[in-house]
Amino acid sequence: MPDDSKVTLKVGFAEQLRDIEVQLPAGEPKPWDARAELKVVGKPHPRVEAPLKVSGAAKYTHDIVPQGALWAAVLRCPHACALVESIDVAPAKSQPGVAAALALVKPGERMIFAGQDVAAVAAKTAEQAEAALQAIAVQYKPEAFVIDTAAAMQDGAPLVHRGKVEERSTEGDEPGAGGSAGQRGNVRTSPSMKKGDAHKGLRMAKVSHEATYTTQVHTHSALETHSIVVQWDGPKQATLWCSTQGIFSVRDEFAEIFELKPTDVHVHTEFLGGGFGAKFGASAPGSRMGFIAGELARQAGAPVRLLLDRKEEHLCTGNRPDSRQQVKLGAGANGQLTAIHVVAHGTAGIGTGAGVGRNAFGVYSRCPNILVESHDVFTHAGPATAMRAPGHPQGAFALELALDELAKKLKRDPLDLRLAHDEHPVRRHQFELGRKQFGWDEGKKRAAALRDKQARVRRGFGVAGSIWGDFGRGKAVVATVSVMRDGSVEVKNGLQDIGGGITTVVAQVVAEVLQRPIEAVRVRLGDSELGPSVGSGGSVTTASVTPAVRAAAEAVKTQLTALAAKQLGRKPEEITWSEGQARAGSKSIAWAELCKKIEGEAIVATGTRPETYGAYPVKFMGGNSYQIAGVQFAEVSVDTWTGVVTVERVLAIHDCGKVMNPLTARSQVQGGVILGTSYALTEQRIMDRVRGVMLNPNLETYKIAGARDVPRAIDVVFTPVDTGANNTGAIGIGEPATIPTAAAIACAVHDALGVAVRDLPLTPDRVLAALGVVPARGAS
Amino acid sequence: MSDRARITRRGLFRGIGTAGLLAGCKPSERPPTTTEDGEQPPPAGSAGALGPGPSPLEFTLNGQRQVAEVAPHVTLLAALREQLRVTGPKVVCDRGACGACTVLVDGVARNSCMMLAHDVDGAAVTTVEGLSQGGKLSVLQEAFIRHDALQCGFCTSGMLMSCQALLGRTQLEREDVEAAIAGNLCRCGTYPNVVAAVLDAAKGSA
Repeated sequence: MPDDSKVTLKVGFAEQLRDIEVQLPAGEPKPWDARAELKVVGKPHPRVEAPLKVSGAAKYTHDIVPQGALWAAVLRCPHACALVESIDVAPAKSQPGVAAALALVKPGERMIFAGQDVAAVAAKTAEQAEAALQAIAVQYKPEAFVIDTAAAMQDGAPLVHRGKVEERSTEGDEPGAGGSAGQRGNVRTSPSMKKGDAHKGLRMAKVSHEATYTTQVHTHSALETHSIVVQWDGPKQATLWCSTQGIFSVRDEFAEIFELKPTDVHVHTEFLGGGFGAKFGASAPGSRMGFIAGELARQAGAPVRLLLDRKEEHLCTGNRPDSRQQVKLGAGANGQLTAIHVVAHGTAGIGTGAGVGRNAFGVYSRCPNILVESHDVFTHAGPATAMRAPGHPQGAFALELALDELAKKLKRDPLDLRLAHDEHPVRRHQFELGRKQFGWDEGKKRAAALRDKQARVRRGFGVAGSIWGDFGRGKAVVATVSVMRDGSVEVKNGLQDIGGGITTVVAQVVAEVLQRPIEAVRVRLGDSELGPSVGSGGSVTTASVTPAVRAAAEAVKTQLTALAAKQLGRKPEEITWSEGQARAGSKSIAWAELCKKIEGEAIVATGTRPETYGAYPVKFMGGNSYQIAGVQFAEVSVDTWTGVVTVERVLAIHDCGKVMNPLTARSQVQGGVILGTSYALTEQRIMDRVRGVMLNPNLETYKIAGARDVPRAIDVVFTPVDTGANNTGAIGIGEPATIPTAAAIACAVHDALGVAVRDLPLTPDRVLAALGVVPARGAS
Repeated sequence: MSDRARITRRGLFRGIGTAGLLAGCKPSERPPTTTEDGEQPPPAGSAGALGPGPSPLEFTLNGQRQVAEVAPHVTLLAALREQLRVTGPKVVCDRGACGACTVLVDGVARNSCMMLAHDVDGAAVTTVEGLSQGGKLSVLQEAFIRHDALQCGFCTSGMLMSCQALLGRTQLEREDVEAAIAGNLCRCGTYPNVVAAVLDAAKGSA
């Protein structure tokens, strides 16, 4: 093996390119940098698996029915807090069609949210399973509970947990964002993020702004509900189909539950209907699905399908926590920030993870004094879990809107204020680009004119920044590329395609290296036996997988080159490739001919990805990875008579390193903007404070944006960056795309009205209340 | 205190009787009575009643004659997916709020979760599986692929059926497409691409 080698890479963005030297580990292909001329990667290509999805042929976990499979249903606690006095599942066992019934709690156990697992049955049909649940006798002794975040913080509030709470994190969580600095009552404090002395900075301020901002609980609402199908192949072997973002997280958790060898658990996820952070492991965040399905299948001696319904999906499969953020900003006479201080409380229900991300701490880093303090407040509600950029949309909303309110006091353009404090050269470039492309300066004038006229329908312009890290993982993925004697090409990895389009990108990378048409590359994913891989969370997939795939393809190519050299009677170093032909001088051998010379069935090679080795031009805080930049501009119209906010336009300018496939990358950004718009305007979990249950666990009163609720125009612009992070130059985009949307919309509403609506979602009643035409309803 | 005192849709149907439901639905197309021994007689003034056990049902599914024995309370969606194993239509909300189960019934886009299987007796039902002809994708399906009008793909079957029902109209505008898919929820955020795909397909098929 050759030693580590140093190579020169051309890195940077736009006009700001430079050469850097990086140390490459042994065997690592030279990274595709700004000099790389690529023919397939970076070009738009429709999804290779799309024909299956448009014809109904794609099989999701919901569609899998092994021979003789039973249907499972779970009895869920109707109380927010109750002691189980007795439970008897025996009557369920004699119900028609029932093959197994299982108590999931014991007498004396305390239930702490409405929706918690109580018992489960497996029956021949869904109806029989549902009916059998009614036969289970459970006696509860209801106890006092607390649903409101603010009420839960009070002394004397009913305690959700009696002991110290351990954090449960998944691959969907941001690396390094957890931890505890103490727990008192229902309040668990996270380690604070601190720079300089924010208290002093506030005392020094000539102009200051202080306000409280709130955000709502947001549920993932993936269209395919959490689902798992378990088939025992022997006492110690099982095959699973699971709607998951992390095939190996399912395998490992299931193996642990039933004390199996992970390699004896075979997990399939050929397709999944969305995840957004909630689908890791064999269980859902608030339901022991893996155990339930596995144990029912074991007892019944038949495969079991456990497919949650929509109500269960809202209650016990995770959510984005709410937040109450007290924001204090200070500025000097020159308009420069002297301090940012955020005190955030949020409820992740019975779980943890209600922090507010890195926006307040990391984006406007020219502010010398920053303190962000986060607290989890336990309430008797289903646990939160990572949701697309955990913490960030709520943090961005409070900080960016507060900045706009401060800018107003300073009589400063909000965009200028941001540019004066953001050190990231790419984000600054994006802000400047957007100013021109969005028509910011003229737009702001138009908004002001409508405001001055007291026009009924106002316009407003807002902007917000995004921060995320390149968390591409080294040594996690082993990809296999094969070239067969018949000339066909196959790439395999135990990865799941959540809908981001990785299947196509993998095909593109192999097609690029081997100079084959994309259609000639068969991509096999979605199966734990196809080699180790990462979970689709934290925007790591493309950055983690493509370099390993490329390494494998390059290794195959090296062998093919040697074979061609032998055939052409030349040395391998004399061989060049063009259009899929190996050439040496005037001699050449075509792909099909060359492949026929392969000894045995195929040339097969595996590839892995080393740790990240470059992070140009800016590192993400406290790490060695690149800080991903993004900004979004929003234009809204607000009807001041009805309070209805319409998002007219969003311009999303993002960096995702080297764009692998502009078609699918654009879709992903569009999707982030739409999710963010929905969060900004309509979505919210409504809890009944009296009964402690969710009032809208469905899709008609839990309102996610439909086709007519989304921005009238979404423009996506990529500012490609060569970071030198890995051999394909890919970094993630899934999370950054949704971080600044709600913040930019809220800022635009502030611009339109001249007053801020400080609570999400920006519903008509809140808009009217901010205008002073209706009284404010009780704060959430 | 006992648990699960709740009303489900299916429970409600059972409670008021399928015969009553069907009597209110499509009297002219009501299938012949197949009551088993000892079952209650058909209500007065109606030609017959179904259930509670499976009853024969005949309809055209994606151009093929389909005969099935389906219990009267079973939704069209459940019959398609669980009995006939036609899994293109998806279960997402199971109460008419999301459109993922949309199929065409005699050319009209319908939420199959909001119909009983016996409602389509004698009708022609098209699911997403019936859009392509002889393995060749339709103009609309091709346009969806070209415009990347799908991400995870779970809403796609329903989206396609709502859009298919719209095609063939002349002068299709963006608003028409948005109205047609107003009942189809997508969590990945593909709406703009769906609209672009349908407008493109409408041009191509015109």
